[in-house]
Amino acid sequence: MRKKIAFFILLGWLLLFIGDRVDELRVYQGAQIAMYTIALASIVLLTGYSGQVSLGNGAMMAVGGYAAALTLNKLGSPIWFAFLMAVFFSALFGALLGTAAARLSGPYLAGTTLALAVGLPEIANQFAFLGGVPGILFDVGFPPARFGEEFTQYKWFFWIATFLALLSLFITSNILQSRFGRTWSAIRSNSLAAELSGIHSSRMKILAFTISSALAGLAGAVLAMTISLVAPGAYTLTLSFALVTGAVLAGVSSLPGVALGALILVAIPEIADVLANSWGGGENFSNYLPGLIVSLLLILSVIFTPNGPGENLRKHRHNKASED
Amino acid sequence: MQKLLETLLIGVSTGSIYALMSLALVLVWRSTRVVNFAQAGQAMLSTYIGFEIASRSEIFWLGLACAITAGALLGAGVDFFFMRVLFKHAVSGPAVVVAPVIATLGLLGLIRSIVGLIWGGEFKSIEAPASKDGFTIGQTTIPFSALNLLIITTVSLILITLAIIFQRTNLGLSLRASAYAPEIAQLAGIKTGRTRTIGWAIAGGVGGVAGMLVTSYNFLSPYSLDLLLVFGFIAAVIGGLESMVGSVIGALTLGIGLTFILNYVGTSLVFIGGFAVLVVVLLLKPDGIMARGKVRRA
Amino acid sequence: MIRKTRRRGTWLAATVLAAGSLIATALPAYAETGVTRGEIKLGITLPLTGAASPGYNKIGNAMNAYFKYVNENGGVYGRKITLIQKNDEYSPQLSIAKTNELILKDKVFALVGPLGTANFTAVHKSVGLAKRGVPSLFLNTGFSGFAKKTSYPASFMILPSYAMEAKIIAQFLKENHAGKKLGIVYQNDEFGIDGMGAFKAAGTKFDVTVPYTSGSQSAATAQTWVSQLAAGGAQVVVFFGVTSATAPLLAVSAAAKYAPQWILGSVGSDPLTLRALGVPVAVLNGAQTPAGNPSPNDTSDEYIKQFQEINTKYNTGTAFDDYVLQGMNIGLMTVQGLRAAGSNPTRKGLISAIETKGSSFASVAYSPLGYSKTSNVGHTGYYMAVMDANGDRKPFGGTVKLYTTDSGSGPVVLSTFKRPAMPAKGLPSNS
Repeated sequence: MRKKIAFFILLGWLLLFIGDRVDELRVYQGAQIAMYTIALASIVLLTGYSGQVSLGNGAMMAVGGYAAALTLNKLGSPIWFAFLMAVFFSALFGALLGTAAARLSGPYLAGTTLALAVGLPEIANQFAFLGGVPGILFDVGFPPARFGEEFTQYKWFFWIATFLALLSLFITSNILQSRFGRTWSAIRSNSLAAELSGIHSSRMKILAFTISSALAGLAGAVLAMTISLVAPGAYTLTLSFALVTGAVLAGVSSLPGVALGALILVAIPEIADVLANSWGGGENFSNYLPGLIVSLLLILSVIFTPNGPGENLRKHRHNKASED
Repeated sequence: MQKLLETLLIGVSTGSIYALMSLALVLVWRSTRVVNFAQAGQAMLSTYIGFEIASRSEIFWLGLACAITAGALLGAGVDFFFMRVLFKHAVSGPAVVVAPVIATLGLLGLIRSIVGLIWGGEFKSIEAPASKDGFTIGQTTIPFSALNLLIITTVSLILITLAIIFQRTNLGLSLRASAYAPEIAQLAGIKTGRTRTIGWAIAGGVGGVAGMLVTSYNFLSPYSLDLLLVFGFIAAVIGGLESMVGSVIGALTLGIGLTFILNYVGTSLVFIGGFAVLVVVLLLKPDGIMARGKVRRA
Repeated sequence: MIRKTRRRGTWLAATVLAAGSLIATALPAYAETGVTRGEIKLGITLPLTGAASPGYNKIGNAMNAYFKYVNENGGVYGRKITLIQKNDEYSPQLSIAKTNELILKDKVFALVGPLGTANFTAVHKSVGLAKRGVPSLFLNTGFSGFAKKTSYPASFMILPSYAMEAKIIAQFLKENHAGKKLGIVYQNDEFGIDGMGAFKAAGTKFDVTVPYTSGSQSAATAQTWVSQLAAGGAQVVVFFGVTSATAPLLAVSAAAKYAPQWILGSVGSDPLTLRALGVPVAVLNGAQTPAGNPSPNDTSDEYIKQFQEINTKYNTGTAFDDYVLQGMNIGLMTVQGLRAAGSNPTRKGLISAIETKGSSFASVAYSPLGYSKTSNVGHTGYYMAVMDANGDRKPFGGTVKLYTTDSGSGPVVLSTFKRPAMPAKGLPSNS
């Protein structure tokens, strides 16, 4: 445990050190990677460990984003409290949705959450305090003055996002190694057997949903911070799709993989841009190429390595070495 | 009274298009146990093809015929080249349950991007095959137009054709048999694989019609059929996801219900209304309105 | 234990990858960002696709066509202008992401003609345009708030504000439609609310008020607007929204045979776009609209004539309409601004050049420009026009009757202002 804490602190220092040495654009992308890392951890927890597919992660992120923005704007609270409220409200929402979802399986949950994701803008339109399509501003403020003039806004975002991402990963990895994590694995591999050995599978599923939503909500608040805005346009179906893709690429049950998945999600538009430029494609090209790459990756990986690229390797080792 | 009648008529017109989409979803679900989220994408691509033909030839019906053909070929292709490969590979591990769902989503994204690459994101519109002007009865003009009437007629014809295929032909019998008891059907000499592909083709064609009809009074864009997919899914869930008749009844109920919300409550509540219906049905009557005490299969 | 070490290995690998991707730095090649020996890089975010794109998607190419023309005729002090267009689909979130790209990745010198009130508000805040000192020239929005120098020190408007437009319409209603039942359909955001405030201040009372949310416009929602207007018996209906909402509104009204006197706001009244969206031309016939520019078909106008020639040559295949005109005019204004900033332009220099010299720039619109050390106000007036059956517009009453006003409580006055002449061949030579 102590080793793990040391490792995370070291990782944090390393990232901050790198953050000081690169372009502002990379710093900004670093903040995005951190945001995706949290969001993917949320999916890995739900899909990888409880065997459910939800497309509602975008919607849960929205809950977190709106909760944080409203807390900050209406109460004038400090930022940390806004993030806390994001976690709290999305967890609450997740518990509610989870209660319904525990009774639903496969396509029903996916379809219901898909509907939620498609309809999010309409819901934001319905309630005036959510600011409609233009959304509401979410301003975490300038970095503290003691960091100096050179400390940019984006570096401040990067620091906050990285800290929250490391914290989330630390907590999630501890949860997964705890009794709960083992129980989820048991339910996923054989829910009947798990029931028979006295596990309340639906209660455990609701718990997974709640924690997953809390993480998604936090990611949503971080996303809102990086764009200083909460709007339905920020939490689209495309985002939900991208997250599912990232999770599949990361290996749906691999927590360390999420950082890699997050990196890929940020890198894809960049790569697509380079490709579009070098092939001399027009406007359509740069608009739709990222989507094309994401979808192709998703399809290929779900067909050939449905459990993540790491899975084949893991299986191989698993056969050689005995269980730890 | 007049408003009530208007609402009912428009509701049936809207619901009949939902019926096509939900029927397509049900057809695929029955044969493959997959809710095909890519149905919206297939329908969209077919509609774009139909749009090209219709706007070049200036004949809507030729466009519609092409959209049906393209939809059917696309549906068969997706099953043959995509779903079969998927089921061959995804056989074990934590993702096996979720793989088909994720795969159809990936396919939706893929088709959307391809359409975007070819046609771009601008809104396209198809010259409607009938007047969009409301009928005038005596002094008053109602919003129900010749186009609405044509939509209802077209959908009715398609439903009747499907009913005949399913009830009166050998193909229909094989389709029904392989959906309900694939093993027995196989033993009885039905080529279940081929039958399944035909089911996908029919679903694809039906989806193409839905896309063309929606586009005849709205715009076409890479995202314009998303809402149709969602409402089609809700309708299918109301009907219990298994029953074709149920899905049509579900769609008409949803269409009329949403038009009532639109006309009597407010525009912005339409989606929320649809979503509420979905949640209520799932929680109270998870097997759909046509359920006969059967356990819902996942 | 074996498993644990392996896990740690994966963690590390992921970190190293993430870190590696972050390291890649580029230094600016010239003293000022976006300006090199031979090039000035400019950027714009606008909806190229999506619900709000029809019409607006032409602005970027029109600007580009004008820049190409200038580039082929010597550029700006020898530098060629490059315009980078980014599609924001009219969503604030995408505007922010794309503006970030323009500023951090493409490293543009200035933004020109960014579009949308909500979008620019969000972008300005999030990207920190004021703090970075990135000039935002000639915003394609008329939100009066952007005129405030204290909040938007590096931005300049070009369109008369929505408040000015509403005050001028209010004056027009008083003079020409007194005693009729009035209705209004407006976009429920800063754009529409800016106008509603001005109507209220001018004492205009609407019998039917229909707000709509940006992005919600469709044939279905237009049904409810029309039934509300018809039920309220509105005889004169003011529309204060975007073209993609005008289209279903007029189409549905025509289908329902509801025909009030339409007064279409300047933002949503482009005839070509309306027609492209399937609105019957007959509906446009007789619609009244405030206009700042001459009709794009008026070839007797020196600006229009020159711009049409440029359009034919550098923007081939695109119909010359109000949006193309607006794009070209922003191009013309931009080139004058860059010239005024001198042969070694800096961002600061550009801003102060427009503050001091901008109000005398040549521009196609009839009304005076209001740039100064204390204000970002662009054009300050409108004339009322009437559309004909072909969608073309003629001044109401036959001749241009220009009203000017401000966004505050100032009066609406008839103006005799004469705009500066078009520079020879459309190539500015100011300094």
